[in-house]
Amino acid sequence: MAPVIEVQNLKKYFPTPRGLLHAVDDVTFTIEKGKTLGVVGESGCGKSTLGRTIIHLHESTSGKVLLEGEPVNNLKGKALRAAREKMQIIFQDPYSSLDPRKTADQTIREPLLVSGKYSKKEIEEKTTELMDLVGIDERLRKAYPHELDGGRRQRIGIARALALDPKFVVCDEPVSALDVSIQAQVLNLLKKLQQDKGLTYMFVTHDMSVVRHISDDICVMYLGQVVEKCPSKELFKNPLHPYTQALLSAIPSTDIHHPTKRMVLKGEITSPINPKPGCRFAARCPYATEACHQPQKQEEVSTGHFVTCCRIHEL
Amino acid sequence: MSENKEFLSVKDLVVEYMSDGQVVHAVNGVSLKLERGKTLGLVGETGAGKTTIAKSILQILPDVGCRIAGGEVHLDGEDLLKLPEHEMRKIRGNKISMIFQDPMTALNPVQRVGDQIAEVVRLHSDDKSHAHCEKRAKEMLEIVGIPAERYYEYPHQFSGGMKQRVVIAIALACNPDLLLADEPTTALDVTIQAQVLDLIAELREKYNTAMLLITHDMGVVAQVCDDVAVIYAGNIVEYGTKEQIFDHPTHPYTVGLFGAIPSMSEDEEWLHPIDGLPPDPTDLPQGCAFAPRCKYATDECRKGPIAVYKTADGHDCRCCNMNKIAEQEG
Repeated sequence: MAPVIEVQNLKKYFPTPRGLLHAVDDVTFTIEKGKTLGVVGESGCGKSTLGRTIIHLHESTSGKVLLEGEPVNNLKGKALRAAREKMQIIFQDPYSSLDPRKTADQTIREPLLVSGKYSKKEIEEKTTELMDLVGIDERLRKAYPHELDGGRRQRIGIARALALDPKFVVCDEPVSALDVSIQAQVLNLLKKLQQDKGLTYMFVTHDMSVVRHISDDICVMYLGQVVEKCPSKELFKNPLHPYTQALLSAIPSTDIHHPTKRMVLKGEITSPINPKPGCRFAARCPYATEACHQPQKQEEVSTGHFVTCCRIHEL
Repeated sequence: MSENKEFLSVKDLVVEYMSDGQVVHAVNGVSLKLERGKTLGLVGETGAGKTTIAKSILQILPDVGCRIAGGEVHLDGEDLLKLPEHEMRKIRGNKISMIFQDPMTALNPVQRVGDQIAEVVRLHSDDKSHAHCEKRAKEMLEIVGIPAERYYEYPHQFSGGMKQRVVIAIALACNPDLLLADEPTTALDVTIQAQVLDLIAELREKYNTAMLLITHDMGVVAQVCDDVAVIYAGNIVEYGTKEQIFDHPTHPYTVGLFGAIPSMSEDEEWLHPIDGLPPDPTDLPQGCAFAPRCKYATDECRKGPIAVYKTADGHDCRCCNMNKIAEQEG
């Protein structure tokens, strides 16, 4: 069976007055049914743009996206609408991604109305079912977003995304605006829904402990490119790319007796506009040499563990 | 001057907001102490009253619809709440200063970053000449790791991490004795957070500054703080040294907070969220505010105000079932 999502050499460039901004640059991966791919990286690394380009909220510059084996990135009109029912997104900020003038049930009902496939009665039934599914009390049916806390708003966002029974859901930082006690509730909900419905997730986040908890595989992105990709456990046990190592070591640990040895990076993320060929992390990398400024190749170091770093064998 | 001991002490602080004719009980009798050179972490969730406590110390709460209904704030033996406004002005930015949460909004977008640092220097220094203030501002930029020639640039020309460095430079320009850091790294990426935390630690050591660090990130607390106060619904529920809180969390809320964080070392299928939601601050439950979410709650918890119990020297816990829970859980 074809994987649910297959992304091949996907690129998304934005024109800016100063040149082309390489937001997503040559990204390739697949996600099998029922699995979660975590995408991590710092703000501005292109992880959200990647999610949005895959589900065609942005038109891709080049490359291919296959949904269950069918190309979707060149679709238009009706065919695109049909494909979009299968790919949905949960947005980061539950404060701005809901219409402030729609009640909870109106928001959840909207995709059902738009699809035009359901009768009035079916829509009502499905809305109730969805509210029940994500744990929104019946008494909150007519509540407006401003009357609800962040966790409940995010549950409405989840219900809306699941209304049309999608195959694939992009979760774009769905818990980063929530407090930890509420975050745990929402993460458990997402995981349960995945198990019950066989959903496939792409989970975009900057929080390493969240991504470790929820993902089967992880892509680490830096300036539009994937620098390391491997199964979740392997990444935390054996991070190989210097950027991944720095990212992991920078997380403040709650273990007060064994402080981690931190690798503090110099400087900040460089500009994604007209980047030079070669490793984009080289400017901040403590191990950078001449060779790093040449174009880099992705290499499979061990089964399923891909790294893009020319010095990987020396380090 | 009382050396070292109790440099800052807050006693029974109560702060109320008025909203739509209802009283919001933001801070309900908070007491805390801080010595020179030490760091106290204030940990809690959104709306717990952390920022309000810091703003009360500095007295920068909104004028309308907000009042400090009781309590004392002593700095070096002086009750700040009794000081007239013109005296307080001399303290703000000089003896006490604050690092605000969001560097994107804390800076003035139409003023050069250097001038924003120089402004604080001019307000509090004896030498108010332009040359002196500019020199000091440039010094501060260098101290926080920004080349002095960027003095003449505007905030939009800086990245998030650099803006936060400017905010830190403003806060530290007059060598304050007390630094109130309100989520100083929450808006930053982890690699930049690491840089900024290192910078704050280095500067604090150099000037022996006391710091009240407000955060919701237990990892940051573990890395930076000496003491920790866990705050819930405007009240400190647990207070102790970092070791006491991290090794022997006692209050069910603290235990719940630790349990809700996804582990970096163990694999668990499911997380352990704290059920329910924080209480409505306009309508706090009688007794323990955490009782509606607490699995150990008994009738006693819902009755009257809950006393503070000591589990060890300097380790306070506001829970009347503390000992029973400890027995149950072994």
